[in-house]
Amino acid sequence: MADTILQVPYGTRDVLPGEAAARRQMEDRICSLFTLWGYDEVATPTFEYLETFAGTGQPGAGAFKFFDRKDSILMLRTDMTAPIARLVATRMRKDKGVKRLSYRAQLFRYEEAQAGRQCEFTQCGIEMMGASGAAADAEVIALAVTTLLEAGLKSFNITLGQMEFINGLIEAAALTDDQAKKIKHCLIKRNAAGLQEAVEEANIPEQLAYIFKELLFLHGGPELLEDMQKRVLSRRCWDALENLREIYELAKSYGVAQYLSFDLGLTRSLDYYTGMLFEGYAAGMGYSLIGGGRYDNMMQRFGEPCPATGFALGIDRIALTLERQGSRIAKRPETILVAYGEGKVTEAIHMASALRGEGKRTKLGSCPMTKAEAMQSMEENHCDVLRYVE
Amino acid sequence: MEEYITIALPKGKLFKRSRDLLARVGYSAEGVSEDSRKLVISNEETKVRFIITKTVDLPTYIEYGAADIGIIGKDVLLEEQKDVYELLDLGFGKCRLMMAVPEAKKRPELKDYAHLRVATKYPRCAREYFDKLGIQMEIVKLNGSIELGPLIGLSELIVDIVETGTTIKENKLVEVDSIFTSTARLIANPVSFKLKFDRLHKLVQDLRTVLEEEQAQRS
Repeated sequence: MADTILQVPYGTRDVLPGEAAARRQMEDRICSLFTLWGYDEVATPTFEYLETFAGTGQPGAGAFKFFDRKDSILMLRTDMTAPIARLVATRMRKDKGVKRLSYRAQLFRYEEAQAGRQCEFTQCGIEMMGASGAAADAEVIALAVTTLLEAGLKSFNITLGQMEFINGLIEAAALTDDQAKKIKHCLIKRNAAGLQEAVEEANIPEQLAYIFKELLFLHGGPELLEDMQKRVLSRRCWDALENLREIYELAKSYGVAQYLSFDLGLTRSLDYYTGMLFEGYAAGMGYSLIGGGRYDNMMQRFGEPCPATGFALGIDRIALTLERQGSRIAKRPETILVAYGEGKVTEAIHMASALRGEGKRTKLGSCPMTKAEAMQSMEENHCDVLRYVE
Repeated sequence: MEEYITIALPKGKLFKRSRDLLARVGYSAEGVSEDSRKLVISNEETKVRFIITKTVDLPTYIEYGAADIGIIGKDVLLEEQKDVYELLDLGFGKCRLMMAVPEAKKRPELKDYAHLRVATKYPRCAREYFDKLGIQMEIVKLNGSIELGPLIGLSELIVDIVETGTTIKENKLVEVDSIFTSTARLIANPVSFKLKFDRLHKLVQDLRTVLEEEQAQRS
C-alpha cells in the first residue's frame, strides 16, 4: 500500500456527517439572505488562466498552478473577485443595471495550515458592480453585518478603513514609490516599529509624519473621523473621511452602526482596494472572518471600467468561531428506520415511500431481519424511530 | 467585567527587563519569575495574566491568540515569520545576526564562501541573506553552541546572534558580515489588538513615555 493512500494532502480536510450538514445549512441560510437582498448567484470555473488573477497583488503567488495542453499556465482560483469581474466584463457587459452577484465557492491557496486556515477553503460572498458612492458601500456593510448575525454569531466587530485616506497621506507627503511601498508594507504587516523607522527615513514634514507614525493606532468610533478631519490638510484625505462618515450615517439607518468601528491604518493584503475597506473579527479567532471593500480599478483591467464593491466571508472560520463561542451544532432531524421480516420487502418499500412523501427522513433496512435485530439495527444506523413490517 | 489581558514573556536574557518595564506601567503580578513553577500567573485586581514561554515559541502563542501581547527579539520575529502585530521597538536587548569564519579561513570576498556549510540557529534568515548575496550554501540547523561548528569540522561558517562578540573571539572566529541588528519588540495578536484596543493602546503610549523618560535621564 502506498504511504499516502490513507492520507489527505497538506492543508486539506474531510468534513464528516453532522458537521457537513451544519455547514451546508449555514451556507444555505447565508445564500438565501443574499438572494433576499437582490443578489443573483453565479458560478465560475474552479481553475482559470493565471492572467485573470494578475492585478490581485502578485499573480499566482501562493496559488496551485499547472499547465494545459497548449502550455498556458492555469491556476486554481485563490479569490472570487477577479473571476466575477471577468464574468461581468465579458458575459454581462450589455447589462445596464447595477450587477448584484453572489457566490459560494471552494478556493485554494498555499497557506501554512492551522485551524481555520487551510489550503482549500470555502467562501460565500457578494459583489456589487456599477454603483459608486457611500450608499453602495453602506449596503455592503449592512449585508455583511446581517450575514454574520444570520450565521449565528453573537459578538463580533466590523472595522472600516479607507484606502483613499492612506493614498491621500502618501500624496501629501510626496513620497517616492519606494518609500510609499515600504510604508504600505508596514501597514499590511501591522509593523508599528517598522513604520516609525520608515517614516523617519522618508523625511516627511512633522505634522504629517506624526499622523503616519500614529496610523496603526488610529482606531475609534465616528468621533475619530471628525477629529481627523480637523487635523488633515489634504482634500483627498478629508473626502475619504467624509465618505466613511456618510457610510456610518447610512449604517445607522440600517440599524447596524453599533457593530462598526474605524481603523484608519487598515489595509488588506489583496492590493486592489481603492476606497472603503473593512474586516470583521470575533473573539476566539486569530484572523478576520469577513473582509471586503471598494475596488474601482479592477474592471478596467478587463476592458470595462466600472465601480465595484463587495465582500467575502470564510465559512470554515465562521463554523470554527461558532464552535469556540459555544454554539451547538444543529441536531440532525428525526430519522425513521423501516425494517421488515422475510418476504415483506415490497410492503416496506411502500411504507418508506409513503413516509418520505410526508417529508419524514426515512432509512430502509438493507435485508430482512427479526424484530430484535431491527431494534439493534436502529441504534447502529443512528435512527430514532423503528417501524417494523411483519 | 473587564476581560483579562494575557502577556507572554520569554525566558532568557529579555525576561527581567521586560517584566520590570511592564511593572512600571502597571502590569505586574506576584511571583512572576523565570523559575516560577506556576505556568500561568494572574493578577485578579488588574486583570492581567502572565505566561512564561520558551523564546522561539513566544510568537506562536501570540499568533494563536493564547496570549494577547508579548515581548520578543526582532531576530526571533524575522526567523519565525508569524502573523503578529509589531507595536513598539523597546530598544533593549540589542544584538545582531552576523556571519563569522575561523580567522585562518577568511576569504577576500563574501561570494568566495559559496557552497560551504553554515551552522546556524536561524536557517530562514540565513537562507534569505545568502539568496540576496546570490550564493548557495549548505545550511546546518543547530539549536545551540553554534560556534562549535567550525571548531570540530561540522561547518566552515556560522551565522549567529552576537551581543558583544566576546564568544566568537574566544573561539578564534572573525565576523565577516553583519546581517541585521535586533532589539526587543512589543507584539500583539491581531484580533486581540482590535478587541482590546483601548487598553493595549494605552499600554503602548505608557511604555513609550517610560522609554522616553529613561532616554532623557541617560543623556
